[in-house]
Amino acid sequence: MKTSEELTELLDFIAEYATYLLGSGVHTSRVVRNACRIGASQGVEVHLTTFQRTTILTLREEGNPQVVTQVVNIPHLPISFERNSDLSSLSWEAVDRRLPLSVIREKYRQLIARPRMDPIFVLLVVGLANASFCRLFDGDWIASGIVFTSTLAGFAAKQQLLKAGVNHFIVFILSAFIASLCASMSLRFDCTAETAIATSVLYLVPGVPLINGVIDIVEGHILIGCSRLINALLLILCIAVGLSINLLLIKGSLL
Amino acid sequence: MEIFWNTIARYNAATWRWQIVIVAAAVLLTLMLYRHPGKRVEQAMKLFLALLNVWIALVYYLVYGYERSYSNVMVLFWALMAVLWLYDLFAGTTHFRRTRRPGLLSMLLYLMPMIYPLFSLMRGLTFPMMTMPVMPCSVVVFTLGLMVAFTERINLFAVLYLGHWAFIGLAKVYFFGIPEDYLLAVSTIPALYLFFREYVRSDTNRNRKPDARVFNLLLTVICLVVGAFFMATLLPYLHPDLW
Repeated sequence: MKTSEELTELLDFIAEYATYLLGSGVHTSRVVRNACRIGASQGVEVHLTTFQRTTILTLREEGNPQVVTQVVNIPHLPISFERNSDLSSLSWEAVDRRLPLSVIREKYRQLIARPRMDPIFVLLVVGLANASFCRLFDGDWIASGIVFTSTLAGFAAKQQLLKAGVNHFIVFILSAFIASLCASMSLRFDCTAETAIATSVLYLVPGVPLINGVIDIVEGHILIGCSRLINALLLILCIAVGLSINLLLIKGSLL
Repeated sequence: MEIFWNTIARYNAATWRWQIVIVAAAVLLTLMLYRHPGKRVEQAMKLFLALLNVWIALVYYLVYGYERSYSNVMVLFWALMAVLWLYDLFAGTTHFRRTRRPGLLSMLLYLMPMIYPLFSLMRGLTFPMMTMPVMPCSVVVFTLGLMVAFTERINLFAVLYLGHWAFIGLAKVYFFGIPEDYLLAVSTIPALYLFFREYVRSDTNRNRKPDARVFNLLLTVICLVVGAFFMATLLPYLHPDLW
């Protein structure tokens, strides 16, 4: 039977693990499964309720009258599917090999200390991806080239504004405005300008929150699912606002 | 294309005196940055760059370029750049200090606004229907020259924003018959390479993928591919008979 200190120590780790996953773009049921698996490897039950900003965890051991509960904030972390997959594997390894908590914690520290993608590398790849979207929507090569450089400018603005701590809704409006303004230069040339302008903001579409929101609702986590969808829809609204301001000024000749 | 050159002719004919004053101010402030660097000179240069961008937005595009289709896009683009410099003037995010980057490259970029008119004259164009030093492309190349020479920690957004303009220049070569813009597009590549390479190197606690060596290799390959692409697009222009 575990002492109160041991249960609290275990809860601290599972809370850190679960919130790291939630902050990195994992849908709720996967987080619940992984956290329960780690709990099972230590012989305890984990009960987890999550909201948009916080998570509530409870740990209990069969036959033990002590129950520990904690409310933890979810950190904002960059989305990394590779890291999410590694952390899920860790939960399987913990339960399969019955690893002690100290070993699991050490492996967890090693996993989260692994290098992340360079922001400049991400910038270049996002630019290429958005230019490819332009081609997919029948944009010509000139439009695709313009979308590439427009995305670089818009995404760089997004990275710098987020780093400066600006509200992310404002960041999305400004980034959409800058990217679509840069892409609007294609209007001067004989190319598929409409496609260029429309696809220049696609890099901002919050795909992960949208998918996670739907999965959460389908799997019964209605509250967090709705929160994620509302957040994603607000971001889409911000993209539309940024793009609309540009279109009103340029195509609507307000200037 | 005719409208494009007509607007340039009208702009040059009406503003050539102002252009001389602007070039003189640019030369003076740049020399002061080299000889007597300090906070006041730095602020004067930022204010100058903001006003220069306002000039391009209002005088070049709004007043003389209004006949061109979608000139309002350009007004917004340059106004945004002016706002960026004004913000920098008050926030003090960019510091003009001498860097260890190659002086030859910055010198070449400074000279580019003067090479533009020479290039036009070599093509047989005459005043006022020719490129002059105070035009959007010259301003971009001068700003990049300043950044190469003086800004240790670059503003990535400003560089990519200017880079976007430079690469648009390549399309202008064909659509508006202005091969002078090749100079801008080509001279931007080494500047962007330097900025990106130093941006990666300056990250001292670097725990990123790909590592600095691979990243540098990747940058070199990208620059070579872009350079080869420029060459391939330039050749048919230089030797139309061969293509």
